[in-house]
Amino acid sequence: MSMNGNTNKSLVMSDAASVRLRLGNWIGQGVLFLITSLSTFAVFFIFYFIIKDAIPFFKTEGFKELFTGTHWYPSAHPAEFGALPLFAGTALVTVGAILVAVPLGISAAVCLSDLLPFKIRQVVKPMIEILAAIPSVAYGFFALVVFAPMLQEKGGTLLSTGAWLILGPIFALLVVVAGDLLLDRLRTRIKNTKLAAITVFSVLGSAAFFLIYRVAGQLAGIEISSGTNAFNVSIILGIMALPTVVSVSEDALQAAGRELREGSYALGATRAETILKTIIPASVSGILAAVILGVMRAVGETMVVWMASGNAARIPEPWYNVLQPVRTLTATIAGDMGEADHVTGSSRFHVLFALALCLLAFSFLMNLASETIVKRSRKKLGK
Amino acid sequence: MKKVIAIAVVAASVGVASAQDKIVIDGSTTVGPIAKAFAEYFMAAHSEVNVTVSESGSGNGAKGLLNGTCDVGDMSRPMKDGEFKACAEKGIQPVAHVVALDGLPILVHPSNPVKDLTVEQVRKIYLGEITNWKEVGGPDMAIVSISRDTNSGTYETFEGMVMNKQKIHEGCEYVGSNGAVRQRVQSTPAAIGYAGLGFVDKTVKALKVNGVFPSAETVQSGEYPIARPLFMYTNGYPKLGTPLYQFITIYLSEDGQEMVEEKGFIPVTAY
Amino acid sequence: MRLETRKLLDKAFSGFGLIAIVIMALALVFILAPIVSRGSKAFVFKGTIEHRRVMLELFDRGNVDKFHKERDEVGKAREPIYAMMAEFEAKTLELETSIETTLDEIKNEDRNLRKEVSRLKKVTPRDDVLIAELEARREQFKTREAELKAQRSELDDTRSAPYEELKDTVEELFGPIPGDKTPVLVRQRYGQTRWDRSLIKLHELLYTEEWDYSSPDGIGVKVETPRSELFAGTCLEPLFSYTEENIPQMMRPRTTFYWQFITDVSKGDNFFGGIWPAVLGTIYLTLGSMIFAIPMGVIAAIYLCEYAKEGRVISFLRVCISTLAGVPSIVFGLFGLAFFLNTIHVSSSKSVLAGSLTLSLLILPTIIRSAEEAILAVPRSYKEAAFGLGAGRWRTVLTVILPAALPGILTGVVISMGRAAGETAPIIFTAAVSVGLPLKIWETMTEPTPALPWNIYNLCTEHEAVDEIRHVQYGMVLTLVAIVLILNLFAIFMRARISKKLRG
Repeated sequence: MSMNGNTNKSLVMSDAASVRLRLGNWIGQGVLFLITSLSTFAVFFIFYFIIKDAIPFFKTEGFKELFTGTHWYPSAHPAEFGALPLFAGTALVTVGAILVAVPLGISAAVCLSDLLPFKIRQVVKPMIEILAAIPSVAYGFFALVVFAPMLQEKGGTLLSTGAWLILGPIFALLVVVAGDLLLDRLRTRIKNTKLAAITVFSVLGSAAFFLIYRVAGQLAGIEISSGTNAFNVSIILGIMALPTVVSVSEDALQAAGRELREGSYALGATRAETILKTIIPASVSGILAAVILGVMRAVGETMVVWMASGNAARIPEPWYNVLQPVRTLTATIAGDMGEADHVTGSSRFHVLFALALCLLAFSFLMNLASETIVKRSRKKLGK
Repeated sequence: MKKVIAIAVVAASVGVASAQDKIVIDGSTTVGPIAKAFAEYFMAAHSEVNVTVSESGSGNGAKGLLNGTCDVGDMSRPMKDGEFKACAEKGIQPVAHVVALDGLPILVHPSNPVKDLTVEQVRKIYLGEITNWKEVGGPDMAIVSISRDTNSGTYETFEGMVMNKQKIHEGCEYVGSNGAVRQRVQSTPAAIGYAGLGFVDKTVKALKVNGVFPSAETVQSGEYPIARPLFMYTNGYPKLGTPLYQFITIYLSEDGQEMVEEKGFIPVTAY
Repeated sequence: MRLETRKLLDKAFSGFGLIAIVIMALALVFILAPIVSRGSKAFVFKGTIEHRRVMLELFDRGNVDKFHKERDEVGKAREPIYAMMAEFEAKTLELETSIETTLDEIKNEDRNLRKEVSRLKKVTPRDDVLIAELEARREQFKTREAELKAQRSELDDTRSAPYEELKDTVEELFGPIPGDKTPVLVRQRYGQTRWDRSLIKLHELLYTEEWDYSSPDGIGVKVETPRSELFAGTCLEPLFSYTEENIPQMMRPRTTFYWQFITDVSKGDNFFGGIWPAVLGTIYLTLGSMIFAIPMGVIAAIYLCEYAKEGRVISFLRVCISTLAGVPSIVFGLFGLAFFLNTIHVSSSKSVLAGSLTLSLLILPTIIRSAEEAILAVPRSYKEAAFGLGAGRWRTVLTVILPAALPGILTGVVISMGRAAGETAPIIFTAAVSVGLPLKIWETMTEPTPALPWNIYNLCTEHEAVDEIRHVQYGMVLTLVAIVLILNLFAIFMRARISKKLRG
């Protein structure tokens, strides 16, 4: 019926109808805009509520102790709020996680974007998604119930095996490169190149072997007194950050484009050289963004660190000793919230919001940094 | 207002004109096992009432009671002055129900030959002044000290009764619950920890403190030095006959006493 | 560098990449293997007669006649044990009473003598010889009494105390002794429901555990001695070999497929039954967060793709969205507590509603991004065709773009559902409790609920019998992981189909 009515009308709208339509459109757009900005409001609300409850802490306790003090006794009389050990704990497990996630993640991303055939990629990608989908509490459960006892019982063996597996290939590669460079130098002076090659490689190889042997032997002697420590958490957080690093850096590598690769091949470079000398430098900003996202994931994770980091509010001695328990910002918030009495408006309650504010500010800055980097790289590639 | 609507909805749809269809319990992890046992016992008899229990720390119990977000606040320490004051200002009258007594045994790994420590020695261990088991007659092992998280009433009790408010040394490990303390101690030969009496089993060894072994008798008689009452707080004394009243008086019944005892705590009255 | 070396390096480089992929796969297997293998034992295990009793009595499930028949047979097999225990108890009681009666007799006689002595002392003249004689007899009584008391305490040490320990273990293995009063705690009303746990308890029954501290380094060594040695020579001695030999007849292990683990409520502190309240809570929280997040997310995506003109405001909006995506989950929890519960009071206590709202904020950025991608992936020609046919913007969006983008949007939704189901930190302060009934749908507005992620944390750190209910914890983890993975696999398949369609 309405169709009939419409056909009789002229195609040109009357002024009134046009205004009505425009008004309707305008209002509709306004509503859409409002709903869209709800998520923006959410961000502001979060900042507002966290800052609102963090301010009383800074008012009564000031800034100095929180950021420079090393004594975290929120329940003592008088309380001490030196959160440096918490920052150190967060930093330590994050660095550990990044050391696990970044080399592995970038190698895997390179492999995915440049080496593997399409079919295998179709299998590997879902695997990465599954790794990303496993809930953090399941990782935490694994870290606490399976991994921690394992570390405690066979820590030394695990560490030395790990050293062999990691250092072995790396050293083998180093020996080959160093030997080759050395032989290049020697070639002009020595006649019997075969003998020289055998000597050089066997000397370098046995030196490398001996070095790894010593390191692994040292590690095998370590007894881990507590399986819930920074090492445990770093490994698990590294695995959790891996999917982010892989997928973001793979996108970056893909974005470097076909022309660049073909150009490099045409100049006679091998695949490794193409990737190392051309593709990675071209996509370095994207990879940096991937690392930043990995850092954010590790810093913000709560359950794994709460369950498996040991929660000792102390800077490890020496500071890089990952085999000691640490306490992180997120775990402190989750754990202390129960006791910190909101009602009496104590500093102990507000300090948790101050810590949350630090987390929030950190993730905000990191986010901005990664956005800027990505934007800049897009511009660069666009040109 | 919302509650009224919710109740009206429930009453209309179920056809039960009950005055209260849920009891929300929040607070101490130590009181948790008792609250959970009571909740299950209560729901078996009153299937129309949903009793929920969360274990988040004594402070949360007080906070929940004050904000009206829970009906029963479990606490393993008495309310503090500040908490009472805040309650009074809000027109809430916290009533304490002592549901059980609890001792805090000092736990070590069963392979540790040490049997007896004084409170002074325990304090020195947690202060970091005694760092090796050989200093207290044990083997030559560096002590791994384990404490409950600072968010627990158990920690505050320990801090008050053993540490004299001195600070636990920084190398001490903090774990989130009684069960986790036991887990850490049973898997670490050099460990020392403390947890509620209900969490002692044969995978860990409880020590004599000042020559007294922690048991129901020694806690009740006051001989064992580290013991405390466990509380459930309500806002005012619950109206007689309400589900909350029935719930909060379970501990006075014979069944309640038995549950408290079987969960490893000490009933306040003996049958 | 020589060509061979360059080639070798190239190969090594590929090798590193492959190793990285392999390590990733291994990590996945390493983490999932224990969860799957031990988690499945919550569903498939060797159940004993006690499991079938739990099923029948607590869940009204199973064949009553068959159970009764089996129970009678098992009862017959257990009979000798209870008989031996009763005999031992009677014997101990007899010994005790004989000591007690002798003690009483001695006390009586002693009292009489004392009276006699005091009477004699008052009589004049005093018969000192007789008094001395009586006093001497009293002394004898005293030593006799001390002897008897020593006997009694020896009896305590050698018979009663070991017997109590034995009885406790027997009760843990087989459930309460017939004829005793029913325990109040549900957990103590039944014996071991699983064969693997039964064997562990059997070992505890057969051996006592002592620690020997005599080694030179002072560290104790666990020593196990057969418990039968404690009862050597008594009527209980044969109990141990009998139990060891006949345990299958007394427990009747049978492979059980307990899929109701997911749909049963838990009984006796998670010792029996399943995890339904937590599963249902997780479902509510996930769906609840979707109800809020999907409309907002999709509308925002439509606006950003179709209406917004790139400019300062929009790029600011985008920064906000990505900031929201980067906020740590625990901060969402704090915000949910501070805003939804303490400021606008959506419910009087923690509730599913508050938790869902908090979670919906958490997944909003994911939904916006995936919806945006899906909308942008709709070919331009669709839109142009719709405009060409004279459709307005609204109509184009509703009838052309949205339907075309729907599968893509759904993929994003399904993935964020997985995320919402697995998040723990935001619901700690807003929705999760450790014990509660399965909620009815209208109760979700006001009541808190157990939820899988929180209960996993709770059970593996806070339960007082952590080790005895490992299978429940693993079962919960497996259920949660399965829910999340199924959602993700679904999304992966859907995406594969979409990309095929777009390509083809």
